[in-house]
Amino acid sequence: MAENVKTAAGKTDERVSFAGFIKNHIFDLTAYAGLAVMVILFLIFNSGPRFMYNLSSVIQAAAVYSILALGAVFIYSMGFMDVSLGQQVGVYVILMILIGNAIGGVLGIVVGFIAVLALALLCGAINGAVSIFLGLPSIVTSLFLMFFFTGAQYLMMEATGENTIRLAQTIRPADRNTYSLMLVIIIAVLAIIGGYVFNYTKLGKYTRAIGANKTTAQQSGISLVKWQVFGYMALGFCIAVGSFVMLTRTGTAGKGTGTGYAMDIMICLILGGMPLKGGMKSKISSALVGAFTYTLLSNVLTTMGVPLNWINFVKACIFLLIVLLTCRKSKGILPR
Amino acid sequence: MKKIISLILVLAMVFAVAVPSAFAARHTKIGIGLYSDSGAGNDAVKAFLKNLEPTLDCEFVYTVLSTNDEALNLTKVQELIAAGCDGIIITMDSSMDSILAECRDAGVYLGGYLCDFDSSFRNNYDGVFKNENFVGAVADGGCGDDIKRGYDFFDSVIEYNERNPETPVRHVAMTAFPAFAFPYQQSFIAQFNEKVEEYNAANPDKAIEVDPFNDDTDILMFRAMDSTYFNKHPGIDAIVSVCSGSFVYPTMVSAGVSNTMKLFAAGYNDGDNAVFGSKGAYQMEIISPVEAIVYPLVLLLNKINGVAFPDQPADAERKSSSVLLMNSDEDMAKFEKSIYLTANAADAFLSAEEVLNLTAYANPNATYAGLCDVLEHMTIDDLK
Repeated sequence: MAENVKTAAGKTDERVSFAGFIKNHIFDLTAYAGLAVMVILFLIFNSGPRFMYNLSSVIQAAAVYSILALGAVFIYSMGFMDVSLGQQVGVYVILMILIGNAIGGVLGIVVGFIAVLALALLCGAINGAVSIFLGLPSIVTSLFLMFFFTGAQYLMMEATGENTIRLAQTIRPADRNTYSLMLVIIIAVLAIIGGYVFNYTKLGKYTRAIGANKTTAQQSGISLVKWQVFGYMALGFCIAVGSFVMLTRTGTAGKGTGTGYAMDIMICLILGGMPLKGGMKSKISSALVGAFTYTLLSNVLTTMGVPLNWINFVKACIFLLIVLLTCRKSKGILPR
Repeated sequence: MKKIISLILVLAMVFAVAVPSAFAARHTKIGIGLYSDSGAGNDAVKAFLKNLEPTLDCEFVYTVLSTNDEALNLTKVQELIAAGCDGIIITMDSSMDSILAECRDAGVYLGGYLCDFDSSFRNNYDGVFKNENFVGAVADGGCGDDIKRGYDFFDSVIEYNERNPETPVRHVAMTAFPAFAFPYQQSFIAQFNEKVEEYNAANPDKAIEVDPFNDDTDILMFRAMDSTYFNKHPGIDAIVSVCSGSFVYPTMVSAGVSNTMKLFAAGYNDGDNAVFGSKGAYQMEIISPVEAIVYPLVLLLNKINGVAFPDQPADAERKSSSVLLMNSDEDMAKFEKSIYLTANAADAFLSAEEVLNLTAYANPNATYAGLCDVLEHMTIDDLK
């Protein structure tokens, strides 16, 4: 926190206070500044006739990242990470298509989503509980789930006999702007719920406390098993919703659906100012700031005319730069 | 200080890459989404299209698509549209409903290349081939009822035997990609076996034995062939690989059989010419001519310019293209002088002026039949 320092004359030195504020909020300020720069560049380089198209493209691309990142905040705040996230998304989208096509109509979609939600919550509970019961680092159990879901995705697709499967019915609004508005509403509702849960309920407070100091949290009466499981179930809920949103976007799925999302979400959260070790400085806003910064970065680089095959390279450089700028200690690399 | 220097360096690099392009003159822009960004085929198609740019007043930008991630492909198409593309050519039949919805919303047209769009053709014909934003596709060789690659493999084996009567191929085994990804490869195998049966009935003294297809080892899951293949198929003289030889040849080398066993394969990979024909194991290779991209390109340019051929069909079509089939040293010598290996547009089947002449907006006499006819004349014998 910023502190006022009294000088010899007994007056408060506001400059010291300001510097302290900057120092204490360097992650947040850098993240917000990054997003602001991206928004400004987006407005500059998208002033043409495709402004609305590109804006809705950004919303579409950011929607899945935002929803998944909102859930991931709960486990990153405990200092954990989940590498099975992408493969879970892949399997859930395939399952929703298979169930939706088998039953048909709106009922098929609803049943598909409920089945996926139940599975996601179960996997979240397993992920959280097993690591504690077996004393394993949480990443190990998520690795197990990642391999499990990779195999499941492959077998399910092979069983269909197709490279790509497609939902027989259209669930996305035909009008692009209506669809974008729908996504914005979903993101906003989840962000409000996520913000409330993370900031004002035991779940958010305890997960941050576990991330700050697990031993202290346990000695304070916080049940590690219970709140770790609930944290992972919160991620599971967001994975289920994110998978549904992805299905609305493409209407199809294949063996590679969801590939790379675990790393993308980690990058989003770091860009959003999330400390990788979790703790009390974790913020739910990191999810949205990071997801939109990450998505806008791709769009801005594209519209600026950066060759498409260079974009990943340039993004890597910018990511490295942000890590360097937000590095807290001379010895440290990642925000911690 | 280090942070400031790193900030300056990165910003300088980004703007050095971005700003010249951002303020460049506006041209018709076509986005090309390819399977990969490396290899002789990529270099050749880029060289061919680069040569067309001034004559067609058209600029090409490239991206790489995923073979199985629909969401990523959709994002790549959105990036191409964001980059200002008026038309897009893709090599994947994935997420077509959503990709075509993007094209509709952005007023962009879409064509296909190196892909028969079989899944869309069978399962979503109205959504894709009747879609006004889809102009059609040219396949990687044959498509639909026009598949005869299995016969090509058989002919190559027979030609090899005629050229090498002392060491003929009498016992072969086969490999293929999984049916869910390439369903037609099973047809190739059936065609090959059908011809072998006919041949054996007519020539019992020269009979060719084909090992039964073994699902454990003969289906290559887009990984190098397993060395247990040779245990499952003892005594074979050759492998007939209806998928790319790049998945088979390295395993032959590591198993120490590349000097004695022959390989009849699809595809061509960098350096294969050094081990082809009398120089090594490869006895047959098939590759699609990069110039076949003119089919979707011309149709896209027509659409963008608001014209159509007088004989253009109402629905978009998928067309077969002729292939470059090499099964002798002479064929490979010709192929080595093609754009595929030289990456020199002067070695292409078509010059920039000839491509322009295929378009309806530049040549009022141009026809759809004429465009399709061009695809028929890109064989190894047509090489200049």
